[in-house]
Amino acid sequence: MPADNYPTGTVRALLETDLVTPPTRHALQERLRQPDVTTPRFFDARDFATLRAACARLIPQPEREQAIDLAGALDERLAAGKSDGWRYDQMPPDGEAHRRGLRGLDESAQALFATNFQQLDATRQDEVLLAVQRGEAHGETWRTLPARRFFEELLAELTEVYYSHPLAKEEIGDASMADAHGWQKISLDEHEAHEPQALETSE
Amino acid sequence: MTERTTPTLAQRDERAGVAPDLHGRSIPMRVYATSDTVDAVVIGTGAGGAPLLARLAQAGLKVVALEAGKHWAAARDFATDERAQAKLFWTDERLSAGDDPLSFGNNNSGTGVGGSTLHYTAYVPRVQPDDLRLHTEFGVSADWPIGYDELAPYYDELEQFLGISGPTPYPWGPPRQRSYPLAPLPLNGAAQLMQRACATMGIRTSPAPNAALSGSYYQAGVGWRAACTNRGYCQAGCNTGAKASMDVTYIPLAIAHGAEVRAESFVTRFETNEAGRITGVVYVRDGIEQRQLCRHVFLCAGAIETPRLLLINKLANASGQVGRNFMAHTGLQVWGQFAEDVRPYKGIPGALISEDTHRPQSADFAGGYLLQSIGVMPVTYASQVARGRGLWGDALREHLRGYNHVAGINILGEGLPYAHNYLELSAELDARGLPKPRVHFTNGANERRLTAHADKLMREIWTQAGARDIWSFPRSAHTIGTCRMGNDAATAVVNAEGRSFDVPNLYIADNSIFPSALGVNPALTIMALALRIADCFLRRARHGEV
Repeated sequence: MPADNYPTGTVRALLETDLVTPPTRHALQERLRQPDVTTPRFFDARDFATLRAACARLIPQPEREQAIDLAGALDERLAAGKSDGWRYDQMPPDGEAHRRGLRGLDESAQALFATNFQQLDATRQDEVLLAVQRGEAHGETWRTLPARRFFEELLAELTEVYYSHPLAKEEIGDASMADAHGWQKISLDEHEAHEPQALETSE
Repeated sequence: MTERTTPTLAQRDERAGVAPDLHGRSIPMRVYATSDTVDAVVIGTGAGGAPLLARLAQAGLKVVALEAGKHWAAARDFATDERAQAKLFWTDERLSAGDDPLSFGNNNSGTGVGGSTLHYTAYVPRVQPDDLRLHTEFGVSADWPIGYDELAPYYDELEQFLGISGPTPYPWGPPRQRSYPLAPLPLNGAAQLMQRACATMGIRTSPAPNAALSGSYYQAGVGWRAACTNRGYCQAGCNTGAKASMDVTYIPLAIAHGAEVRAESFVTRFETNEAGRITGVVYVRDGIEQRQLCRHVFLCAGAIETPRLLLINKLANASGQVGRNFMAHTGLQVWGQFAEDVRPYKGIPGALISEDTHRPQSADFAGGYLLQSIGVMPVTYASQVARGRGLWGDALREHLRGYNHVAGINILGEGLPYAHNYLELSAELDARGLPKPRVHFTNGANERRLTAHADKLMREIWTQAGARDIWSFPRSAHTIGTCRMGNDAATAVVNAEGRSFDVPNLYIADNSIFPSALGVNPALTIMALALRIADCFLRRARHGEV
């Protein structure tokens, strides 16, 4: 499949121009400046460390000096008691589901490798996550918390946080925020001058 | 959602008798005291409440709309950013049960003055006449107590007032009284791909009717609205006023004719008298409980909050039908990646339509569906990849680096009512202390067959168009039913004029009264139904029959 590589800095440069509306600039620059969560408000230290380890496998960012803070965003959302408007009836309330699910990762890691999730190497962490995603993981937690739903909810939320970040938008060549003057060139293979072009396309 | 924060500027303005326009400038608005017995309280300002509010105000009635959400000034307040725009969605938690649990929030539930029209894609096909007679035609679902001829004049009126952009002639359905007032919007990449493939396969397509302006447009009471700038962020709110959401169309019209729109007012209760009539509507604003006296109530809060409010109040449910017959549209999406640059964030998302599948010859199901091309915002797409494909790690990031090559097609198809699909109150309370609704939803054999038919066809179309890595995302769209409209008080909640069988001064005008789901997007039909309910009410009022 086409997987484009785009230059870095595109979105940050666009944010400095009048191609971006003031409310859009405000939202994205605030997100760029958002400091990482170092002391969680919702999770305890152990669960937060497990969460960060899971984030590093679900959306790995080895090339970034400073990774986009996914775990912190989830902690903030849960601390604020915010909801996206629904949850699976078979799942407990969001906060409880995440706390229990993260403990479940440790239980599954213990069952497979006699070690907590955070201490495993990346390959083994991936094995644990895959077992949870498939609903095949061992652990007391998964008897009452549907593993597949937990995984789906966690992954979807982290994915939304990641691709909302200006740096991730640069990564995928998303120039949608630069619409203050609208778009005239909208046909296939048409571009406005300020839409970033892929450096190369790998197959 | 009503956020419990300090009052916003807009809110303070309203108390002085003004409301914000698109740019946040104040427009004068008549206001009423809660002790004034107004002619009507309208609950909700979406596709049902807003047109109805305007109609009643135009007839000279004293009307107050109570809206749970804020009164936004879109040009000032809306960002081109999906996360920032999460403020448009109803986020009081709902519990999703059944084998095919529904997502709410950004999938189908809005809040704010304008309701779900703030985030609708503005796709506005009419129903075809047989959509309203599913039971007659197939022996399933329910016939509507009104026919196409009763809706058609309202469709015509709405298309002219909202400034619908669409083709002339429209290739499907009965002849029109008038053509769409504006030419179609331009086709984006996804639409061109679908058009190209369908042409070689013998499937007719057409630019779709969209409630977004292809040229600047003037209506009395509303003023000039600017043409669409091809931002593809309709589902995150239009910041130019080109999309015909209610906040830039029927709401200003209603205010110009003396209606008050009271935002951030969450309705909790009704007060009734010995005759069983509602005498006041109780709501919470700024954490303070208030009561608006009124002669009539029009409930337009949508197919979840409308039945929830009735069930909480044990009102209008002698039939036991409130909450029953919950439906959703089959809404399967098929995605693929193309060698061409698509940039799916540009252009009206649903630019192309085909209704050749309205009653497919090869169907093994009741009803049918329409096909539409779809663009998609990046975070929405990424989230669907996570949920639908379960991609994570390097595979997820690799896939999303192809985002600019992504295009989709989807269906909007019939969904039948079943006894196993319903809304009930759960024992769990939300932050307001009200029971959370639990919605049971499991597709039946008809939905599964229809979806399988569409999956096969859309994959053929996308293969023909040159897509690779084709995948489908099963989903359900819209909330429908729960307060059925019908002629029999034993099996319906309201009559064909939207009036409750039990409470003589209560009317419902939203998607909850649809007897069947219809094989088209619902917004235009909700508006048509609301205008008809308003006209029926006004006609009876003139004869002293209300």
